[in-house]
Amino acid sequence: MSAILRAEGVCKYFGGLKAVEAVDMEIAQGDIFGIIGPNGAGKTTFFNVCTGIYAPTQGRIYLGDEDISGLSPDKVAARGMARTFQNIQLFKYLTVRDNVKIGFHLHAKTRLWDAVLHTETYRKDEKLINEESEAILDRVGLSRYSGTMAGMLPYGVQRRVEIARALALEPRLLLLDEPAAGMNPQETMELAEFIRTLNADGYTIVLIEHDMRFVMNTCNRILVLNFGKKICEGTPDTVRADRNVHEAYFGKGLIAGEAVKKRA
Amino acid sequence: MKQAVYGLAGPVKKYGPLVLLGIFLLLPLLITKTYILGLLCRVLMYATLAGSLNVINGYSGQMCIGHAGFFCIGSYVEAILATRFGISFWLLLPLAGAVAALMGLMVALPTLKMRGVYLAIITLGFSEIIRLIALNWTEVTGGAMGIKNIPVPQLGGLEFSNARTYYYIFLGVAALFLFVTRRVVRSRIGRAWMSIREDQLAARSLGVNTPAYKAVNFMYGAFWAGIVGAAYAPYARFIDSTIYSLDEGFNILSMVIVGGSGTLMGPLAGSVVINALTELLRPIGQWRMVAYGVLIIVMMWFRPQGLIGASDSVLAGRDIKAKKQKAKEDAK
Amino acid sequence: MEYILNQLVNGICQGAIYAMMAIGYSVVVGVVGMVTFTHGEVIMIGAFASYYAFEMAGNHILLGLLFSFAAAWLMGACVYKICYERFFSAPRNISMLCTIGFSMVVKNLAQIVFGPNQKPMLNIVDNKIYSLGIVQISTIQIVVVITVIVSATVLSFFFNKTRWGIKLRAVSQDKTAAYMVGINVKRTAMVGNCVGCALAGVSGMLLSIYYQTLQATMGGSLGMKAFSSSVLGGLTDIRFSALGGLCLGIIENLGITFSSASFRDIFAFIFLILMLLIRPEGFASKKGARP
Repeated sequence: MSAILRAEGVCKYFGGLKAVEAVDMEIAQGDIFGIIGPNGAGKTTFFNVCTGIYAPTQGRIYLGDEDISGLSPDKVAARGMARTFQNIQLFKYLTVRDNVKIGFHLHAKTRLWDAVLHTETYRKDEKLINEESEAILDRVGLSRYSGTMAGMLPYGVQRRVEIARALALEPRLLLLDEPAAGMNPQETMELAEFIRTLNADGYTIVLIEHDMRFVMNTCNRILVLNFGKKICEGTPDTVRADRNVHEAYFGKGLIAGEAVKKRA
Repeated sequence: MKQAVYGLAGPVKKYGPLVLLGIFLLLPLLITKTYILGLLCRVLMYATLAGSLNVINGYSGQMCIGHAGFFCIGSYVEAILATRFGISFWLLLPLAGAVAALMGLMVALPTLKMRGVYLAIITLGFSEIIRLIALNWTEVTGGAMGIKNIPVPQLGGLEFSNARTYYYIFLGVAALFLFVTRRVVRSRIGRAWMSIREDQLAARSLGVNTPAYKAVNFMYGAFWAGIVGAAYAPYARFIDSTIYSLDEGFNILSMVIVGGSGTLMGPLAGSVVINALTELLRPIGQWRMVAYGVLIIVMMWFRPQGLIGASDSVLAGRDIKAKKQKAKEDAK
Repeated sequence: MEYILNQLVNGICQGAIYAMMAIGYSVVVGVVGMVTFTHGEVIMIGAFASYYAFEMAGNHILLGLLFSFAAAWLMGACVYKICYERFFSAPRNISMLCTIGFSMVVKNLAQIVFGPNQKPMLNIVDNKIYSLGIVQISTIQIVVVITVIVSATVLSFFFNKTRWGIKLRAVSQDKTAAYMVGINVKRTAMVGNCVGCALAGVSGMLLSIYYQTLQATMGGSLGMKAFSSSVLGGLTDIRFSALGGLCLGIIENLGITFSSASFRDIFAFIFLILMLLIRPEGFASKKGARP
């Protein structure tokens, strides 16, 4: 399997704050990859560097064979990387359908001229967008909400709309920032199922998550960050067994305590 | 009941514009008073002007408050080239628009990556600068004397020399504007503009090149303002810099705000309301501008998207929480 | 050369007034977190308040100072109540448009009440001209610069040493955090807005003394100048805003030596564009609340 997203020594500093420091990462085509870490570990910053919202202070990011470090978000998106946001950046006041339609921006070629004269390009584009957006909504199970204003929907549904919108880009790589945040256990389970289906459909997925069980059950490989540094990378089992990870999450004291218990 | 309304919505949407156009076409035949016709000319002119501002403020959520500047450029381009070189009005119409659009690009370029307020203040300054240039560059613009005897447009043997005939030029421009803009906002381009208005970060993450689309949007608005300016100059026959003051810009702005931003019909309604008010309030002079100011504040307090503005947009301000609440209550 | 040096002195003096306007602007934007378009009108109100104070109560600069300060403070309270208080959680455009509406109201009301024509300012200071080598300085210029320096010192004392000043700084840095530690954010924002406006009012008085005239429509270009100056400080940093005002004053006065006085207002615009092209986020390294 070839790497679809590769980070080499990526650093991001904000003034004196080292939010991300020298992180290497390699995500294989067709993988479900998880990024975990305690609060403030730099997960979202790392995501933002990957998707072009921040330029890396140092290091390179490759999408496939292409160097994408420092490109603007729209250019990154045009190269096939779609994402969702931790605090849901939907077009709240637009309908779910329109949200998805905007996602097709890159696949339409309509220029001002085409729109004014309703040329062949325009008609083809609109037809494609209308059909495809219905298809996506269907697939994600949001058809019944398609006419609803996105901001009016419950939290869990909004997250799904955001994923649907990202899917409209037909990305090679889908980045989900805390997709399960604010969901109840039932919704979380459905989401995990959904992510696996997407993966089976051929999407490579990267996700940031806090819910350990969720990550352990869905992801094939996991990267653990703490204080901006990579402390571990590997399969769920490797991560589960890793001492550094335990320390990061529970602190040294607790592990020492466990050790004492074992001895006794 | 609801079903019936929905059943009507289709045909209204389809034929409504045509019916409206028909009514406007017939109006001069029914109205004999020149005064009323002149007023109608103003309404149509400002409807287009406000509409072009609405493309910027209402559709892409940028902030232009010196729209009078582009209006001014259009007028002067037409007046200068028509009086000096006798170029045909019909040629100057798109040319004036193009010049205004070019200026629009120059104004927007430094601020594309920044918060809206910078663009707002730059447009304000720009409008004032343009006026100062028109006032002081005497060799070209006639300075304080303005430009007199601007030739009236001709088509075939027809001379557009009074309000009754000129009405059709304004109507043509307005209709063309609405037609073209309607098509643009319903395409990928319009959706990109709206996505910028609603959430720039999300728009970028979906591959919308926000600076480019903002620039195009701004140029599009400036283009039409330039055209209206060019259409206005031969109608007035005389222009000078006093017409294009900041107050004029605020006047246009208040039409967009009162009528409604983010819809095609909003600025038309705004133009009707504000022009009617202008006539009604004419006796009280300066108080008129005070009234507009109060009107803007009142609109912002109670209906920020305007009378028939896009209530389903970020322009509507705080509505969404209340709506969600109401939906919950309805569900109960 | 001599002429240019004199223009430089004029520029510094005028720049001092612009600095004060800009300080007011950045206090408003910093503390309230929203942008204002009424600043020019507040400046104008301050100028007229001092004018009527001088006319009715007597020729003393302190009197004018007091009146313009108070009138502008009141204006600030009005602006806050009308344009900001309801809109803290609304999209920025709404409060911005509201300030535009309010500035239209004030400007046109002022034209009705004060009359549309220029008024000559009374002679407050006995104007003498001193020659220092080749440079000439007038009493008015000295008075203006001293007033600005004293006000700036008082302001900096207020911000750094008093309870209210600390509250204001807290609110300007982080509203939520300020709220958490028990600061009444809305009231503090209102006071901040009033302080900023009051400074603008005083600068309005100084400006009308300096030019010896005042007019109801003077606000428009002044608001623009205040904004342009404070871009140097990213709209929120006080020191850099003041520096921006000073620069603007000098640029303007040198600029009109090389062109004509009717282009005076263009320089603020050019300055603004240059700033936006060179360093749009301003030179202040510390980031306060961003509007």
